[in-house]
Amino acid sequence: MSTTTSSTRFTPCLICDTPNSRDSLLCCECSAPLALTHEAADPERRPQIVSVLGDSNVGKTVYLGFLLDMLSQRANDFEAIPRGAYSVDLQQNVISHMAYRMFPPKTPMESHQWNWTYYQVCKRTRNPKWVDLVMPDMAGEALAAELAAPSTFRIIQKLLARSAGLMLLVDGALASSGSAQPDFFAVKMMSYVDSLFAGRRKKKITMPVAIVLTKGDYCPDSFDNPRRFAEANVNRLWNLCQSRFANVEFFACSVVGSLAYATAEGEDFVTPVPLHTALRGILEPFEWMLEQL
Amino acid sequence: MALKLFSRASTAIDSVSLLKQGEFLPAEKTRLADDPLERALQLGRYGMIVQQRDRWAEHPGFEKILDAAVKAIDERFALVPEGFVSVALSIFDQPGGPEQDIETGPFLLARHAVTNADFQQFVDGGGYDELDLWPEEIWPHLIGFKDQTGHSAPRFWQHGRHHRKLANHPVVGICYYEAAAFAAWAGFRLPTEAEWQMAASWRIRSAAHVNRRYPWGDVLDLARCNIWASGFGGTLPVDACPGGAAPNGVQQLIGNVWEWTSSDFEATDRDGRRIVGDSLLKSVRGGAYDTYFPWQAVSNFRTGLGCLARVHNVGFRCALDVPTE
Repeated sequence: MSTTTSSTRFTPCLICDTPNSRDSLLCCECSAPLALTHEAADPERRPQIVSVLGDSNVGKTVYLGFLLDMLSQRANDFEAIPRGAYSVDLQQNVISHMAYRMFPPKTPMESHQWNWTYYQVCKRTRNPKWVDLVMPDMAGEALAAELAAPSTFRIIQKLLARSAGLMLLVDGALASSGSAQPDFFAVKMMSYVDSLFAGRRKKKITMPVAIVLTKGDYCPDSFDNPRRFAEANVNRLWNLCQSRFANVEFFACSVVGSLAYATAEGEDFVTPVPLHTALRGILEPFEWMLEQL
Repeated sequence: MALKLFSRASTAIDSVSLLKQGEFLPAEKTRLADDPLERALQLGRYGMIVQQRDRWAEHPGFEKILDAAVKAIDERFALVPEGFVSVALSIFDQPGGPEQDIETGPFLLARHAVTNADFQQFVDGGGYDELDLWPEEIWPHLIGFKDQTGHSAPRFWQHGRHHRKLANHPVVGICYYEAAAFAAWAGFRLPTEAEWQMAASWRIRSAAHVNRRYPWGDVLDLARCNIWASGFGGTLPVDACPGGAAPNGVQQLIGNVWEWTSSDFEATDRDGRRIVGDSLLKSVRGGAYDTYFPWQAVSNFRTGLGCLARVHNVGFRCALDVPTE
């Protein structure tokens, strides 16, 4: 991994290796916060990137926010230490909104406004193995734009190329209602990842990929057997994974215990309201990912 | 320093851990008595026996069976005195927000949530087939009230049987109508939302005007309830966490499973817009083992759930009017 150059006048970005002046806040090329690089400067640290991907409104921000908050609360004997105050922003944003029964605002499309998280994580065992993890919260619209026109968001390309693992969130509720949109987006995303490793096409890609079916409160069947659910409801994705990815696992999760809507007479829109939380399946994909790294 | 947030508050084993221990163990079938009154007692339809005493008056063993039913009600229900509650009208229930004061009369409330073993009696007694127990408008949905193997039973059962190791856990995977049908079949009813809140907040009419945040007091104690931070990750037996009981001995009003009430969930957001669901929302109360925010598992927190939802973390308990004789 990149560290500060010996001259100390320039800092290569952790994500794209572009040299930046030492006092810059964001990378001049990809807009990643250079605090990531500074935090990772310790030669004993080898930060690994786990990219959380998915369509707009699939629940990436909420998933990541609750995951980090649960880790911070030592759920399932995990321990997580944020490296830098900026790493806490995402979970604070999610928790403070959900506590007031509101979804957090959409992640801005501009990469310099994304939330970046850098945590040291370990499972509290006799011989705990600490892992440095960088997990950015990317905007679904930005991902869609990059899929439609590669290199629109070069940071996405750089991030994925550097990722040690992927968590692809798929809207299980929408898929089970018969919509093909979640399947198509997921196939595009995985095809894009596949193309990044085009030189190794003969072999399947071994990078661990956790496919997480979200909004399980609306499709409880997804919890019974996520693999079977995926095969039935996002079959194109299932087939692509079978063909090109050697290390894929399927999971289901939900955060909302009951979803309602606020509406008024005469209004032609409704506002979704998470009436209460009921976390399910949040840690399992992460735990699996950690075992694979 | 470890906060011990996840230290086990009880030696009870949660449902998820039990299910990981091996294959599904179906509860054994019970041979039911041929005599209808004896069968009613055997199935735990105590309220029905007491309510329909005129119907059974000629039965040779009636007095004995009536005594047994009354005794069972005495053991299983506790008196909630008359009182009053303030029900928040907005989901952004900040101090000073709009509230409605509701008087509640005295009533009896079950000390425990209905267990899988209790609900098994309803299934074995043919409750799903008694159309009188179900509102006519939901008859088309009855065919969907199936377990994992297509039998009429709670969602997570198999072949119409509950998992033997979960006999004393609250029944879950039942919608509002299944809860209401069980209660009616047994001769009871579901509590209203205000009654439930009264039982949990214990706001009895007294000089002190106590209004508890929890049945045991005002401070969260993870040893007294099963919410996410308690760290169990599944349901516990209905008699676990006895320290969380209300002053009258009613247990687990907070945590373990949300509880269906008979009330519709009606509320507004902070802008006064009405809260609606995909289907009719019924009020559920108390929080569950997976309730992440502790302030969503307190006596006055209001939320709702679609009346046909059959989820893993919602059960119910029965109520009964105080007998007039």
